[in-house]
Amino acid sequence: MKVFAIDLSICNGCYCCQVACKDEHVGNDWTPYAKPQPNIGQFWMNLTEEVRGQVPKVKVSYIPQLCNHCDDAPCISGCEAQAIYKREDGLVIIDGDTCVGCQLCEDNCPHDAIYFNKNLNIAQKCTGCSHLLDNDENWDVPRCVDQCPTGAIQFGEEADFADFIKGAEVINPEAGTKSRVYYKALPKKFVGGTLYDPVEKEVIIGANCTLKDVESNETFSATTDNFGDFWFHGLKDDRTFSLDLEKDGKKVTIADICTDKDLSLGDIPMQ
Amino acid sequence: MAVQKTKKGATDTSVDKTVVRALALGGLLGGCDPSCVDVKDGKIVRIRPMHFDWKYERESFNPWKFERDGKVLESNFKGMPSPWSLSYKKRTYSPNRIKYPLKRVDWDPKGDRNTQNRGKSKYVRISWDEATDIIADEVKRIHKEYGPLAILAQGDGHGECKTINTPHGHQARLLEMLGGFTQQVRNPDSWEGFYWGSKHVWGQGIVGMMDPSDNCMKDMTEHCDQVLFWGCDPETTPWGFVGQFASRLCFYWTECDIKQVYICPDLNYGAAVHADKWIPILPNTDAAMQLAIIYMWLKEGTYDKEYVKTHTIGMDKVEDYVMGKEDGVPKTPEWASKKCGVPEWTIKALAREFASKITSIAHYFGGSMFRGPYSHEPARLECILLGMQGLGGPGVHQVQITYGGMPRAEGLESTRFFNPSLPERLTKPTQTTIRAWGKQLIPKTLIHTAILNPPLDFWGNGGIEEPVEDQFVHYKYPIEKEKGGTEIHMMWTDTPCRITCWNCGHETIIAERDPKIEFIVAQHPWLENDCLYADIILPTNTNLEVDDIVTNTRQGTQHHSVILMDQAIKPIGESKSDYEAVLEVAKKLGKGDEFSEGKTTKDLQQEVFSNMKLEKFISWDKFEENKYVVLPTAKDWEDDPVGLRPFYEDPEKNPLPTPTGKLEFYSESIAKNFPDDKERPPIPKWVEKSAMHDERVSSWRANAYPLLLMSNHGRWRVHSQADDVAWSREVVTCKVKGEDGYLYEPVWINPIDAEARGIKMGDIVKVHNERGIVLCGARVWERVMPGVAYVDHGARHDPIIPGVLDRGGAINCISGEGITSEKCVGQATSGYLVEVSKVKGEEMDQWRREYPDEFNRPYDEAAGLCFEAWLDKGGK
Repeated sequence: MKVFAIDLSICNGCYCCQVACKDEHVGNDWTPYAKPQPNIGQFWMNLTEEVRGQVPKVKVSYIPQLCNHCDDAPCISGCEAQAIYKREDGLVIIDGDTCVGCQLCEDNCPHDAIYFNKNLNIAQKCTGCSHLLDNDENWDVPRCVDQCPTGAIQFGEEADFADFIKGAEVINPEAGTKSRVYYKALPKKFVGGTLYDPVEKEVIIGANCTLKDVESNETFSATTDNFGDFWFHGLKDDRTFSLDLEKDGKKVTIADICTDKDLSLGDIPMQ
Repeated sequence: MAVQKTKKGATDTSVDKTVVRALALGGLLGGCDPSCVDVKDGKIVRIRPMHFDWKYERESFNPWKFERDGKVLESNFKGMPSPWSLSYKKRTYSPNRIKYPLKRVDWDPKGDRNTQNRGKSKYVRISWDEATDIIADEVKRIHKEYGPLAILAQGDGHGECKTINTPHGHQARLLEMLGGFTQQVRNPDSWEGFYWGSKHVWGQGIVGMMDPSDNCMKDMTEHCDQVLFWGCDPETTPWGFVGQFASRLCFYWTECDIKQVYICPDLNYGAAVHADKWIPILPNTDAAMQLAIIYMWLKEGTYDKEYVKTHTIGMDKVEDYVMGKEDGVPKTPEWASKKCGVPEWTIKALAREFASKITSIAHYFGGSMFRGPYSHEPARLECILLGMQGLGGPGVHQVQITYGGMPRAEGLESTRFFNPSLPERLTKPTQTTIRAWGKQLIPKTLIHTAILNPPLDFWGNGGIEEPVEDQFVHYKYPIEKEKGGTEIHMMWTDTPCRITCWNCGHETIIAERDPKIEFIVAQHPWLENDCLYADIILPTNTNLEVDDIVTNTRQGTQHHSVILMDQAIKPIGESKSDYEAVLEVAKKLGKGDEFSEGKTTKDLQQEVFSNMKLEKFISWDKFEENKYVVLPTAKDWEDDPVGLRPFYEDPEKNPLPTPTGKLEFYSESIAKNFPDDKERPPIPKWVEKSAMHDERVSSWRANAYPLLLMSNHGRWRVHSQADDVAWSREVVTCKVKGEDGYLYEPVWINPIDAEARGIKMGDIVKVHNERGIVLCGARVWERVMPGVAYVDHGARHDPIIPGVLDRGGAINCISGEGITSEKCVGQATSGYLVEVSKVKGEEMDQWRREYPDEFNRPYDEAAGLCFEAWLDKGGK
């Protein structure tokens, strides 16, 4: 059974995965695997991006998203035309000749991975480039994987990726669809800032920074670096924290820090 | 149960042929990371990275590796082309392709030329025979009336990677056979500061950047604690020239715990994923922060005093200036902070980090920092910073990341962007981009002035490969009459982008409509930019449509290779290659045989093969069969001396190519030649304003135009190339869809500035100053610091009112009038004052009423403006 293993820590956001997918499927007819994808507007491999934080602490997270080739696929169970099926290798295929264009699968997919082609009146999505895997001995991975310059997107037998899967997550786990697309380094919230002495006009290096979850009392600690910066990465969404910054008997407390978004607390004076 | 139809044999995935291509857009006879193109039934099926081990064993490449603390970086044995290489189908089959020769409908060579209607009136179809007759007749007429130098060859720039059919300069080769031409001399627009500044500190360099840079990538991997990416974006510019290896290297350096600090107004694409620290700085104010860093080092004594004593000239003068002895103003962090927008404490912290950690500075062409007014000043200050920390020592370098400093391949004479090992017949056209070889010269930055306000006099012609001494040579245009000097009256341009990529776009338009310019001929695959101002347009074809050969020997790929490029598909429409197009004109002028030398494409391919001495690695027959050969890493590559290490170790024995052989913090040459130059004095300084430029936030102009415009090389283009790629245009950072459905070029502004102006994400806005208006789509976000408006140059020009209002986002239409500085004919196209305002409904309605045709040009929702937009009666 195949899986996709995607390591976001080495994704540079180049969009070549999205482009290679279009190059393979726009204007090419691979029936019964896939009918041609429209020129624009469909993203069977969909690179999404999110700008996180505020000047000067900003990151961009890129996530390549595609059909999860779920083992409990709501698109299959909900298809009244019986046009969608799971292959022995785990890949899920929509049969364009059987599809009646009712768009139920598009609604049922919790991963927003199915697109409706108005001109052909069919649903379409990622096929794992199974037309190549089945029919061309030169291909053992899909186009998005072959092109990936940094090796962030991988594809292969589940057993070969056992170690990767151990530390990995899926997108929308709450949907419970048994996804076959695993991610490492999915973005979590961060809080960061710069501590400085407003009299000396110097950054404060080596200050102890303690972030406390107000409800659970869970604490995280960090130390300001040579730029006076502190960073807390990997925080959960929508938690409320208080932050203590301390050095040499001086202290600043910032309350009501909420991780409904990533936060740059800016340049913080301490005297 | 659904019927499972997919199994072996269910579809036919076979292809007719696979050809190898270099699909980056640097051109200049260099290649890139190769791609494979699968073709079936005369159509492109797919384009994919070439795997170097497709036809060879990996061991035969003698693969290199880098190592630090047990962490290893090795080749992944495949090309890593950029997204628009993979989407090249969209380029070749673009709805904007010129399908046949065109003549401007109201241009009559025997009657009224209506030059004032260029950029406004449309085109009618003519045959190749008619087009080449007209061009040949005009050439003869101009020669007779004014002499050969009345023809301007605009035959320079980047473009597709081809050798025989290289996209530039064939017209110059022909015109030279006919008695000469006036050359538009291409200044190094991506390297201005280095060219006009750094050369005076450490000598010629590579277009002014540190040279040699051999093995710097290995040395930085092994020794650096920190790399400063100063105005540099390793996730953008390398795409155009080689591919994405720089990205892999940056991720590897993170793994090795080498800190990566980004100093730039925008959170550029490299900073977005690699930065350990982003220091936002106002555009073109880097010199202030550099001076404050020197101040800190002098004050705290944290620089290599011994090295400065033995390796440099003029530290005393720099010290006098920085500490305020010369002008009473100490260049403190407090002083700098007010100019550059970086907090005083952060400047001090950076100065100490730079002094205490082994630090290199990385670029990949200048980004915004080295392309503004007085760009030679930050460039020279960078040399001083590195010099004060022992330049050339372990881990202390300036590099074009991966473009220089990669392991040496066997059998290469050069890894320069311009491969010198090719036969002269093939390199001649490309000389037009890198050298000033025309009999009469006009710097590319002064074309509009030459037409509208001659005569010109200037110092240094600005040619990319010209020696530093040329900067002290005084030139005139026109040259003396007895030498054939004349004003220009005809322009012949190829793959042109003068309006959208150079300075003063709007002034250029006004110049191109001047009656003095009697005839403009353009050749290009796509109907765009300067083509819209031409009288005759020749359709040329793209990389995939020609037979050629390309030497992928420019550094930055994991393996160097040479590829035999078989034609993938037949030419689109009536298009011919740039070489073939000029050959057609040559025939009409009786120069056909001289121009072709009677050589076939195969003859020329074999000449390249033999000049490159490839028979050492492979026979011609085998090369023809395999279509590529990989040049192995040299066995002794690790023994090559690192960068400026020999100078570092013994400056007397291994002097720099400067007058004193030392790093010249103070330049006696500048002092002697230009004693009164306040913009580029003998030591680099902060220049607040001058007669040439008044583009600081301290200016009175900032009352009306309070934002500093920053412009970089585009993420989704190479200069003006590839702006029509449908699959790029739907990427969030490429375009912004306006409420009218038009895909506008984004302007990035910070939410603080947007709110103050009532601008929301996606609004149609105007970016404007005294020089005109450019419409953009607002991208309001935290990827740019307050006080800055960021628009990449090169968007496809869409004139609503030529010379006044552009809808395509060609931001250089409103860039500053001045050149780099009085004695430097470089462009200053980043770091100038603008305002960004929301376009109100009534304003847009009025424009639409007044210019209905211009607003309703045929428009492809995916690719944008198309060919039919400029055909008389839509081509019907």
